[in-house]
Amino acid sequence: MFQPEERGLQENTFVRKVRRMPVTGDVLVKTGDSVGPETIVARGTVVNPDIHETSLSLQLEVDPEEAEKYLLKKERDEVKRDEVIAIRRSFFGRSTKVCRSPIDGTIEAFSKSSGRVLIRGMPIPIEVNAHIPGKVAETIRGEGAVIECSATLIQGMFGIGGETLGELVMAVDEPDEVLAAELILDEHKGKIVVGGSLVTIDALRKAMKTGVNGIVVGGVDQKDLTDFLGYEIGMGVTGKEKIGLTLIVTEGFGVYPMDERVFSLLKSSQGKKASVDGSTQIRTRMLRPEIIIPS
Amino acid sequence: MSSGVNDGTYLILDIDDFSTKAVLIDRTAEGYYIKGMGQAMSTADLPSLDVTIGVEKVVKDLSRKVDKELWAAEGPSKTHRFLCSSNTGGGLYMMVAGITDMISTESAQRAALGAGALLVDVFSRSDSRPDFEIIERMRSMKPDMFLLAGGTDGGAVKQVLDMAHLIGVADVKPRFGSEFKLPVIFAGNVEARKEVSDTLSEKRYATKAVENVRPVIERENLGPAKEAIYDSFMQHVIVHSPGYSRLVRWIDEPLVPTQAAIGNILYAYALKRQVNLLAVDVGGATTDVYSVYNGIFNRSLNADIGLTYGISNVMKVTGVQNITRWIPKEMSEREVRNIIGNLMIHPSTSQTPDEVLVQQAATREAMRIAVEHHKGIASRLKGLQVKRTVADIFNQTLEPTYLNMMKTQVIIGRGKVFAQSSIAEATLVLLDSLQPEGVTEIMVDKLDLMPHLGMLSKVNPEAAAQLFSKECLLRLATCVAPRGRSNRSEAAVRVRMVKSDGVAVEEEVGFGELKTLPLGNGETAKLEVTPKRGLDVGMGRGKRLEVEMTGSEIGLVLDARGRPLDIPAEKDVLVRWMKSLASDPRPRIQGRGAA
Repeated sequence: MFQPEERGLQENTFVRKVRRMPVTGDVLVKTGDSVGPETIVARGTVVNPDIHETSLSLQLEVDPEEAEKYLLKKERDEVKRDEVIAIRRSFFGRSTKVCRSPIDGTIEAFSKSSGRVLIRGMPIPIEVNAHIPGKVAETIRGEGAVIECSATLIQGMFGIGGETLGELVMAVDEPDEVLAAELILDEHKGKIVVGGSLVTIDALRKAMKTGVNGIVVGGVDQKDLTDFLGYEIGMGVTGKEKIGLTLIVTEGFGVYPMDERVFSLLKSSQGKKASVDGSTQIRTRMLRPEIIIPS
Repeated sequence: MSSGVNDGTYLILDIDDFSTKAVLIDRTAEGYYIKGMGQAMSTADLPSLDVTIGVEKVVKDLSRKVDKELWAAEGPSKTHRFLCSSNTGGGLYMMVAGITDMISTESAQRAALGAGALLVDVFSRSDSRPDFEIIERMRSMKPDMFLLAGGTDGGAVKQVLDMAHLIGVADVKPRFGSEFKLPVIFAGNVEARKEVSDTLSEKRYATKAVENVRPVIERENLGPAKEAIYDSFMQHVIVHSPGYSRLVRWIDEPLVPTQAAIGNILYAYALKRQVNLLAVDVGGATTDVYSVYNGIFNRSLNADIGLTYGISNVMKVTGVQNITRWIPKEMSEREVRNIIGNLMIHPSTSQTPDEVLVQQAATREAMRIAVEHHKGIASRLKGLQVKRTVADIFNQTLEPTYLNMMKTQVIIGRGKVFAQSSIAEATLVLLDSLQPEGVTEIMVDKLDLMPHLGMLSKVNPEAAAQLFSKECLLRLATCVAPRGRSNRSEAAVRVRMVKSDGVAVEEEVGFGELKTLPLGNGETAKLEVTPKRGLDVGMGRGKRLEVEMTGSEIGLVLDARGRPLDIPAEKDVLVRWMKSLASDPRPRIQGRGAA
């Protein structure tokens, strides 16, 4: 299935991973540091996409053009949930009107013409880990670091689910064996399970229920994958699925015995910890899912 | 750009993300001809990151093929005019904004698509999204360029400034090189130019004002906006791509997006022949539709509809059953889905016979979806007051789209799927998906030379027209298809074909069937087509049509399957339709000589 020139398979190679945040923040490691796969390399915050719109004029019962004079906050001020952001006092307080913030956040903008205020949620903290064990080769100012290690690198053809880690465990003896539900065991929790020619939908569901971190297998039926995800895949851009399980297909859709070399490499690595990533982008960037087994 | 080179011969390149394709055009006393063609991998991406490496390779290869020195020490030799189109980085990503969806925004959209752009989003003041969402969207989807329209000349100013203000606040960054300024072309109300320019600060945007795309409600003026897009593409966008600053020093004419070059040659061809034309370019990830109706050019793009990377999305949009219905053999849903998945993830693998069938089935759906979408773009100007009379109820004059298959004289297919098909398969795919009516010439781009000839048409229209007809297009068939329905097995159309040597042939075709009458390339014939009562071939129901036709690979195809086409549940009918067109061994399109 896989054309020889397509397959990315490198034994005992030098793996270099750029670990970078999408925003600037604090880099927590320095060049030469030894890191584990779960070491936090950088930490920062991203803009919260959650924006609430509140009408001051409605709540204060004034014309929109008048609302500004009752505003107690200015743009970029932080506000707490239920904090008063505007108040219109009346004689003796009998009909005083207030407008409170519906969320914790900051004042994003105020429109003088509509009397509406936009409040953005508090920034969301994000962090990036090393993903592979190794040494910090260099740091990227404010963004992350480059981690290097010696490892075996196997690329798959298609995957779903993002980065995860776990001990490699063989659930089948031969590359043409089907990974059925009964082969998924409780002891596979937190591990990367290797199958043969196909993973069934029941096996995928059981793996998710058991808490398996990842599955590496030769093939999967496209229909089963669609039913498992609950939607059609569409363009071949994956990695953001929130299913708690990473799946890496090494050959293609349908029943495909896993390539002998890949299977024996995985078999000989049983018990080792692997870093896997199901992210796939087939167009232009040709990002394929990968399994990294540190030497 | 260089100058002062030989004006009669041309070295023309088209560069996309995967390949750099060169063609050398020369001339003799008889006219222009293709002296040689070459292809190399593109090198704009990693690991090379320099587009000129691929250019040098392909030109040197071509030099060896034609035994002529085309490469000097520092670039292409000056013995030929050097032209180039490009589609690297996925093409030209644009955002478009206007005041109203149906008027200024739609005109701006047509200008951008006509200039070969891929629209990442379209905004208007009638947008249902709140402002903050629009701002977020502008920020997150980094375009290469922005086109802002709105207001007729002397018309609305405030709403235009509101939109300019949103763009200003969004601080939109260009896709490549965040340190560069994003080009914004303002093609709206001339009276708002200064304020728009003030609103879009010079620190953030490279703003340029051009003539209004909609100076009055009744008229569109897309030319100046398109030219400004090409200029900005050259000055601000393409130069940031690896190696292009060197490449633009070699070329003799401004570099334009590949899709714009394709549009050029199709438009020139339709005008020269005075025909209405519909062309569909089905790629791996995108499907483009070009049309010229009554001299009006339109292009639309379906960015995620294709036959390799985009094939799963075709299934997502149309549903697996709509693809399966075109496959001329029984195949389970699982088989079809797995084949589609594998076509997506193994785009370059050689295909099995079943994969070919599924891909051809998906082509029909991809084209159908793309043409449906195109109808919205190729539409009469909205916002006009139209007086309807009782007579309009009975004719098509006030149809919202220009697209009218009965008035389409030429349809052209482009893409690897056609080049790799047999003549009969390509013809049937085009007939099934586009469903031409009346008399229509069916053609394909057999050499993948449309972008090159589109570039040539700007500097030597005569040479481009000659090569396009003779070398690039392959005439597959002339189709006669009646509109309407009848009872199966009843005779639907009677045809009398009188060839130029006086030999006459008569044929009758039953409703629901396809038949062919051979008329070879270079031959001509007079055709008399008499449809049965209730069926129309362009002259009205049951009325006879007389027309002259030229020969082609198949000749005349009588398609009496009815319009709209009913797709039969019985697979043997699909097989019979193919057999009606195919003779064994089935000749393939690749490697065919000139038409």
